[in-house]
Amino acid sequence: MSTRTDASVGAPPPPGMPVEPEAAAATPGNWFTGWVQRVGRKVLSAVQHAGHFGILLVATLAALPQIRRYWPAALGHAKRIGVDGVALVIVVGGLSGSLLAQQTGYQLSNALPMSLVGSGVVAGMLTELGPVLTAIVIAGRTGAGIGAELGTMKVTDQIDALVTLGRDPVVELVAPRVVGGIIALIPLVVIANFVGILAGWFTAVSLLPMTTAEYVQGARGYYHAAALIFSLVKAPIFGFTITFVACYVGLRAEGGAAGVGRTATAAVVAIIVAIMVLDVILAPVYNAVA
Amino acid sequence: MIEIRSLWKNLGGNQVLAGVDLMVDEGECVVVMGPSGTGKSVLLKHIVGLFDPDEGDVLVDGISVSRADGRTIKRIRSRISYVFQNSALFDSLTVEGNILLGLPEGHCKRPDVDCNELVREALEHVNLSLGVLPLLPAELSGGMQKRVALARAVVGRQPYILYDEPTTGLDPLNASNINQLISRLKSEIGSTSVIVTHDVDSAFFLADRIAVLSDGVIQAIGTPEELRTTPNPRVQRFLDPAAYAGAM
Repeated sequence: MSTRTDASVGAPPPPGMPVEPEAAAATPGNWFTGWVQRVGRKVLSAVQHAGHFGILLVATLAALPQIRRYWPAALGHAKRIGVDGVALVIVVGGLSGSLLAQQTGYQLSNALPMSLVGSGVVAGMLTELGPVLTAIVIAGRTGAGIGAELGTMKVTDQIDALVTLGRDPVVELVAPRVVGGIIALIPLVVIANFVGILAGWFTAVSLLPMTTAEYVQGARGYYHAAALIFSLVKAPIFGFTITFVACYVGLRAEGGAAGVGRTATAAVVAIIVAIMVLDVILAPVYNAVA
Repeated sequence: MIEIRSLWKNLGGNQVLAGVDLMVDEGECVVVMGPSGTGKSVLLKHIVGLFDPDEGDVLVDGISVSRADGRTIKRIRSRISYVFQNSALFDSLTVEGNILLGLPEGHCKRPDVDCNELVREALEHVNLSLGVLPLLPAELSGGMQKRVALARAVVGRQPYILYDEPTTGLDPLNASNINQLISRLKSEIGSTSVIVTHDVDSAFFLADRIAVLSDGVIQAIGTPEELRTTPNPRVQRFLDPAAYAGAM
């Protein structure tokens, strides 16, 4: 004798089992109601996220001028982000400069002057690859770390403890990390740019039919101060974005150790999407200014 | 005095509190008991404003916690210490750093305050040696972490201390030590305490009055002796499930 358990209620019938007429009749209505509920829940959740994100953003911006309260902590975070990330940034910056030189060289061969390889590498590194790849590297390295760290603090009641001890988590935890990120990203992007351009030169003179003079001529032909300034403006914007988004995701963690793991992953994904969206928004700004 | 007036709270569609009324007098120790998941910790979090009630109010010294603005809630919190269930010590800070957080911000900068002395006194209260000060929480046992959390709670001499499951996760010996410690702190510091627990022995050892929370409301409240003799079956079932089952 088989009995129907509570767990089977609402589940589709097993293969081969006939569907009862009343269940079949109820299906379209149930499906539509379920769909509306799911969409409604997602919309509500998105609105809630937007609200919480906005509140934390305003609180963080309001905390930035109180920098004297958390300056040592901010410097500590800047040092950690910088020191932890510099080796990876050098590797990724060098590889991207080298690839840029090779691809530009292959496209130009027999068509345009090879000196344009220098232009392509400098333009690519300064305006896009230097800042964006540095941001993505730091997102993977530091963003995940911040998300997991704050997530752990959240699920172990350390954030609540901070609140009950009369401290402001935004001033104590978010602002120092955000300021640290802003400070650290500037030298990291400069390093990525420099190493990328240097690797581009090395690749060009080693693998392509061109000389150092041609590379330098192309690089100087493209270079203008606006490109460098744009690169250095992107750095603090990305530094803010990486740390702020990581803090936001971390502070909303729930569900114990598994939740912290999910938070670290979610932080990296959210940061990379935010960086790419910001980059797309900033590109026309640069074109208009330059 | 802490006054909880007809407190209602729904969390994720679950009606956790459904009209809780409770009054805690000055210097009194009230233990809130009840089965797991009945909203004891939620009740405690309302007192420090970590949760906003759906309905009802919590008053600390006559000031509404739920209607307080940022400055007022900070002032209320400066009078309350909260000992969290899992200690909630800050991983990145040493024991000394954690205890110092129990003092008001900027307190140690005052020329008339010797914070080292305050930390030493707090450690004495919880029977810990000065040798633990440079250690990180991860280097301490569960029982020692609870003691550090207690030291952080008493270092500022706040008039109210809220304990969330202070003996959960400890072996019977450590649990008994923590109970003794809370009892001693109560008599030495004279603070008003609210203790949330489902440990019946702890409750009867520590409480001036015991409130039994179940189904979102206080089912019974009274002195330990009154509770022992109450005919309320929900209370008896919780206090002594084996005897209750035997009598059925």
